[in-house]
Parts: sequence; structure tokens; C-alpha cells
Amino acid sequence: MSAQAATSRGIRLWRAVALPLVLLAAWEASSHSGLVDPHLLPPLEDVVARAWNEGRNGDLLTALSASLGRDLAGFVLGAAAGTAAGLLLGFSRFAENLLGPTLRVHRQIALFAWVPLIAVWFGAGEPGKIAFIALAAFQPGLINIWRGVQEIPQRYRELAAVLTFGRLDFLRFVAIPAMLPAIFTGLKAALIYAWQATIGAELFMTIAPGIGGVMMQGRQLFQMDLVLLTILLLGLVGAGFNTLAGLSETLLLRRRLS
Amino acid sequence: MARASHPLTQSVQRSASHAVNGVAADQQAALLLGGYHSSPIGDALVAAALDSIADARSADARSADARSADSQAASDEVSADDQAGRLFRRLLASDRTGRLILGLSLPLIVLLAWQLSSSFGWLPDQILPAPALVWQTLQERIADGSLWGDTSISLLRVLRGFALGAAAGLVLGGTMAASRRLHDYLNPLFLAVSQVPTLGWVPLLILLIGIDEGLKNTLVALSVFIPVTLGTYQGIRDVPHAYREVGAVFTFSSTQMLRTIVLPAAVPAIFTGLREGLSNGWQTLVAVELLASTEGLGYQMAYGRQLFQLELVIAGMLVIGLIGFAFDFLLGRIENHLQRWKVAA
Amino acid sequence: MTDLHLANHLHAIDIASLATEEPTAAPGNTVLSLSQVSKTFHVAGRAVEALSDISLDIAEGEFVSIVGASGCGKSTLLRLILGLDRAYQGSILLDGKPIRKPGLDRGIVFQEHRLLPWLSVEANVAVALRRSKFSPRQKRDTVRSHLELVGLEKFAEAYPAQLSGGMQQRVAIARALVNRPPFLLLDEPLGALDALTRLRLQDELKRIVRHEGITAVLVTHDVDEAVYLGDRIVIMQPHPGRIAGILPVGLPANRNRSDAAFLRLRDHVLGQLGVGHEPAAAIRAAE
Repeated sequence: MSAQAATSRGIRLWRAVALPLVLLAAWEASSHSGLVDPHLLPPLEDVVARAWNEGRNGDLLTALSASLGRDLAGFVLGAAAGTAAGLLLGFSRFAENLLGPTLRVHRQIALFAWVPLIAVWFGAGEPGKIAFIALAAFQPGLINIWRGVQEIPQRYRELAAVLTFGRLDFLRFVAIPAMLPAIFTGLKAALIYAWQATIGAELFMTIAPGIGGVMMQGRQLFQMDLVLLTILLLGLVGAGFNTLAGLSETLLLRRRLS
Repeated sequence: MARASHPLTQSVQRSASHAVNGVAADQQAALLLGGYHSSPIGDALVAAALDSIADARSADARSADARSADSQAASDEVSADDQAGRLFRRLLASDRTGRLILGLSLPLIVLLAWQLSSSFGWLPDQILPAPALVWQTLQERIADGSLWGDTSISLLRVLRGFALGAAAGLVLGGTMAASRRLHDYLNPLFLAVSQVPTLGWVPLLILLIGIDEGLKNTLVALSVFIPVTLGTYQGIRDVPHAYREVGAVFTFSSTQMLRTIVLPAAVPAIFTGLREGLSNGWQTLVAVELLASTEGLGYQMAYGRQLFQLELVIAGMLVIGLIGFAFDFLLGRIENHLQRWKVAA
Repeated sequence: MTDLHLANHLHAIDIASLATEEPTAAPGNTVLSLSQVSKTFHVAGRAVEALSDISLDIAEGEFVSIVGASGCGKSTLLRLILGLDRAYQGSILLDGKPIRKPGLDRGIVFQEHRLLPWLSVEANVAVALRRSKFSPRQKRDTVRSHLELVGLEKFAEAYPAQLSGGMQQRVAIARALVNRPPFLLLDEPLGALDALTRLRLQDELKRIVRHEGITAVLVTHDVDEAVYLGDRIVIMQPHPGRIAGILPVGLPANRNRSDAAFLRLRDHVLGQLGVGHEPAAAIRAAE
């Protein structure tokens, strides 16, 4: 058993990097061998050099921070609205009956189908993008919070009733703690959808700086190194979000006792 | 008639009718523990769970109906006041008709506002075309067959991409689940790819393979591939050890173990992955058609936007919504059929 | 404490005088032989001795009850006999041959029924016959007859989720028996059931095992159950898991749980496990 555990860390780490290393080596080899058009597959060092340059002149970083900025704005807006709606629908049967079906139908319409409409109503600048991102973050927040409320165990509700808790106390001592996992799931999902929407929005509404704009530019100018670089950045941001979400979840939920 | 009781007691009563029957334990677990890696399987799960709760509650509402019918029969003398009060209470309560009325009220109000807006010209036609115009556009498109043409093109693309992505996902997920070693080699690369938003690949892919069918197939397949892989992997890994031991005790061969124990146990999670895959694929297709296409539902909407003919856009959205609903419904049915052994207690 | 020990000791001599031969030896033809079996687990860096020097011979057709508190290693022992776990010291011989892996000659009833939820009752029992060489017709017949054995032939098409706990466990018993194994291992099979169902199923088990002539090893923490069902009782203690004593049960085949001899033996076993009244007082009360 312990022998198997030892196999784990060292060997598994090696296995994890094996394939990526092989691919990188193959990349280097093929781009230098002349077999592949250097436009399609620039050598590794070109990409690195590009990264270095972009880092120096800051254009890429500006674009990235613009993207992250509106991602955050849209996320906060949408997730807050979704959370509020979820709480409302969870706790009020009247609201549920009134709004539920409409929201269900709304969920069926593919997110990106809203792009033309939003572009016309809000324009293709900041308001439009942020509105779209907020829309993307809304449904995941809503669904998970709504579900979270419904899943508050019956026995906790009964306990609160027996202790004659007022509404505020109930929320504070019973409802919110019981719902924390659902809240986290909702926020995590909203974050992911918001980031996806940010990139999408920037591909469609290319006014104002943003990573999406940079990618489109790279495509138009056939600058593969730039395109590859931006994909790498996207991956890193995505990974960053996931790690952040995971860490905060572990931290904040660690103190919970089931 | 009794006054509304303490809000807390009300919520207790309501939650009693939220019997979480038939919602699979794995669904609940997945919801509460969060999505997988970067891909929230939660959405499809939640949709399924909410549907089953709605079913349980409609059953509950039917019994509430019976109860309220009894109490009505008991008190025959009514005044006009009482009737209004009863109607109001009906709307607030879990009465089936009341719920229907409430549910429809919001869409109807929106429709009304929409109609008023275009009748009174509050917003220009390019921003908000009249409902009648949208309806007319739909009819025209149905009549000349262009709607069906676009729809079938889009649907075919989704199905093709789904088949591709799902097959690849099942294979990769199954392989990684079966071999720890292969998982260790392949997972990092898989994770890296899954961190990049699907649409982020568009510029690269356009440079590499252009903007024709290949682009759409690849993107749709990619967006399907990721959740299916995750679902398959988790599903097979999570087969309870207890069941595997039953197989061992009866000296099952690997094939028998797979067919009789592992696959049936993994089906719920795999199916959830497939559901999310289809949902993702559909979303991606709409986006790609909007961005880089010369035909299909998405293209029609982009076209409509460019010409400021929003009736085309709205008509397109309605059709897309319907298709989304149809996918959801169909897969929900299949899932229920596959899991009919999960009988509610 | 010394009083109790003394009373125990005296009482042990009293009971032991009933035995006509050494308790560790199997009465009859030995079919399962454990010899100095030990097993150590490594948990969080520490070594935990789950089993220490277990030696036991079991005769053909015998019903052996292994009783002990949690953590005494009795379930671990069962898993070793079953062949699910091969890491141990010592030897376990079945009909003279070492046990290397699970086999259809050893049936098991787990504590959690472990019925496959996606199969009907009939299919669940049939699953045990996957590896057997019978024809489909023969398989169907034997599945039916075993369902009749446990009284569930009417529920063949039902799914496990539709049955009560007792019924589920009965299906598990049918599944364990359908291969007609010469050995039946039972790992706290009735632990998850309510008291009334438990009593009823104990009678069922007894009847079935006797009827089929099976050699049975039952692991339980319920002393009454151990005394009711067993021909011999193996008492195990934890830390490390070891056999503290083996007692023959000199009671007739049809036992009465309120019978004085039954109660005496039960109290003795309880005493050995460190629970219950002073045995001396119990003897006086019963006489």
C-alpha cells in the first residue's frame, strides 16, 4: 500500500509533464525542419519573443485587463441578479409561480442568440458587452441558488420553527449556512460562463480593447504567434479562475460541519 | 378563513411539498459539491432535478386540489368578498389553476407591453419590431420552406459535431478511467485544453482550417468532447467499490464486470455528461453561425441584425428557444427511461 | 473487577466441562483451516494489527459464529477467507488448497445487501450464475427455486428500490445460495434490519443452511444471534484482533432463546466480551 503511494507522487509528476514535453519538442523540431509553413506554426522562440515584447510594451496586458475588467463587472451584475432571483424564487411561492415559467423558457434560448439583439439595443461598446456577460452569469447563479434554497433540509427548517426564529435569524443561522455549497457552485458556474461570454462578446463586438479584439487582429494579420500567445493567456486565466474558486471553496467550507 | 400563518411555518409547509423524490443521489451530490473542473455539469443536472421536483410538486398540488375542493364543499355560503378573497388565495396557494394563471401572467404582460410599444411607436421599428411583424415573418419563412432549410442545416451540424465529440469523449473518458497510467499522461493536456473557452479557439482554427463546415464541426465537437470526457471518467471511477466486489465475488471476467456492473452504474453520470455536451454543442453552434457562416439559423439572425430587420432576429431566437427546449425534453425522457430502476421510495 | 473475573473463570470451567474435545479442533471432517493468520494495516503512517495469529479449523456442515465488538477484525477475516484480500501472513486452506482468489464455492451475504439497483430481483439472483455452465433454462429454474426458498417468488420482477430492507436481504441470501456453494460466509447480514425482521430471518437462515447442508461462517456482534445459530462460537477481541476463546454450543438444533442453558451461554459470552451481569448472579437467578 505504501509502496503504491510512493509510486504516486514522483512517477505521476513525471508522467504529467511527459506528453507536453514531447509535444513541445515535436513543435520545435517541425517548425525548424522546414516541413511546416512557419506562418502556420512559428517556432517556439518566436512566440516567447513575442510574449516578451508584448510584456514590455504592455498592449497585450492592457487588453487583458480590459477584458478582465468587463468580465468582473458583468459577473458581479449577473451573479448578483441571479442570486437575488434565486433567493426570491426559493423563498416565495408567489414569485416562483409568477417568474418561474418565464425564467425556464429564458433558459432554453441559447445564450449567444441574444448577441444581435443586445448589440442593437445596447450598442457594441461597453454597455453591450457587459449586458451580455451579465446575462451569461445570471442563469447559473439563479439555478444553483434556487436549488440551494429548496435543498435546505427539512429538519433545519423545523428546528428554526420550533425555536420561533424570525425571518432574519432563520436566514442568518439556518438558510445561508445550509446553502453555502449551492452558493459556491452557482458562483463558480457563473464565473465560468461569464468568462466564456466575455471572449465571445469581444469576438462579436470588437469596439474597445480586449483580448478577443487582439485575437481577431492576430487572425486578420495572420500573426500566428500572437494568436497562440493569446490562447495561452486564455488558458492561464481560465486555470487561474478555477484555482481561485477551488481554494476559496476549500477555505470557506472547511469550517462547516455537516 | 385562517390568516396567513407565520412565514417560517409557511416555508416549512412548502418544503414539505418539495419532496425530493426521484432526484438521484448523484445529481444532488454533483450539485452540492460543485461542477467538475472547468465545466459545470451542474446546469443540465439542475434542469433535470428541477423538472423532477416540478413533477413531484404537481402531484402534491393535485392532492392539495383535492383538499381545497373538500373545504370548499364544506362551506357553501359565500359572499362576493369571500369569492374575491378565495381567488386571491388561489393565486397565492399551490392550486394548479392559480399557478397556471400566475405563470402566464408575466409573458402576457410583456407581450402586451410589446404590442403597446409598437402601436404607440415608443421605440422605432428597427429597435423593436411589432409582434405582428415577427409573426408574419415566421409564417413567411415557414411557408417558403426557408425556416425548415435553415433549421435542418443547423440541426445537422449540431448532430454531426455531437456524434464526433461524444464518441471522442466516451473513448477518452473511458480510457482514462480504465488506466491510471494513461490518465496521468493524458489528463494534464486535457485539462489545459478545457481551460480555454471554446470560442477562444475560433481565431486559431479559422487560420488553420478556414470558415467552412470543418470549423463548425470542430468547434461543436470540442465543446461536446469536454463534458462527455469528464462525465464518462467520473462515472466509471465512481462506481462504488461495493458493487465491484460483488463482481469479484462471483468471479466475473473483465468483460462481464464491465457489462454487468461498471457500465450500468456509470450510465447516470455518463448521460449527464452527454446532456451537457449537447447543450454546449448547441450553444457553440449558434455562436459560430452568428460569427462565421453563410447559412443556418445563426446566419439568418446575423443577417437580420445587419439589415436592422430585428423581426428576423426575434423569429430566429424563438426557433432556437424551441429547439433548446426540444433537446432538453427529449434527453430528459431518455434519462428517465434509463433510470426507471431508481424508483421513488 | 477481580470478583467478576473470578466468577467468569469459574463459570468458564463449568461450561468448558461440557466440551468433550479441544474447542479449536473442528468436530468432524475439516474443510476450512486457518493457521496463524495475521494481517497488518497501515493507516496514517501507523501499523494497525487487524488480525494476530488466528488459528481455527472448521468442519464440514458446521455453523460457526464469530462474535466480537467492532474493530476485532472479524470482517477482515471473512474477506481473507473470501479471497478478496491476499495480503496476510499465515495460511488459509480450503479442502487442503490455499485460497488465492474468490470462487463460486464460497458464497457471501454482505451487511449492505449490495443488490445491483438497475437489475430486477430475478436478474440480481441470476447475476451469480453468469459464470456457471448451466443452460439458460436450468439457470431460470434454479433462480426461481431459490426465490421460493426465501419466499420472494412473487417479487421476481421488482427492483431493489421497491423492496423493504428485509426483503432486499432475503434476495441477497438467495443470490448467495443460487450457486449451491458448499460454504456460506455471512458478514453481519442482519445488522441493518429491524429487530423483528432479524429474528424471523435468523430462523430462515437456520432452516436453509441445515436443509442444504452448507458449512457456514457467521460474523456478528449480536451475541444472541451467535448463540442461536452457531454450533460453535468464536469470541474475538480487538487490539490486536485475536481469538479470545472458542466455545461449543451444546444446545439442541431447535433452540429456545429463553431457555436457561441458552441464557447461561449467552451471558457467558457477553462476560467474555466484557459486558453484562456477573455470570454467577445469572446462574443463581436461572436455577
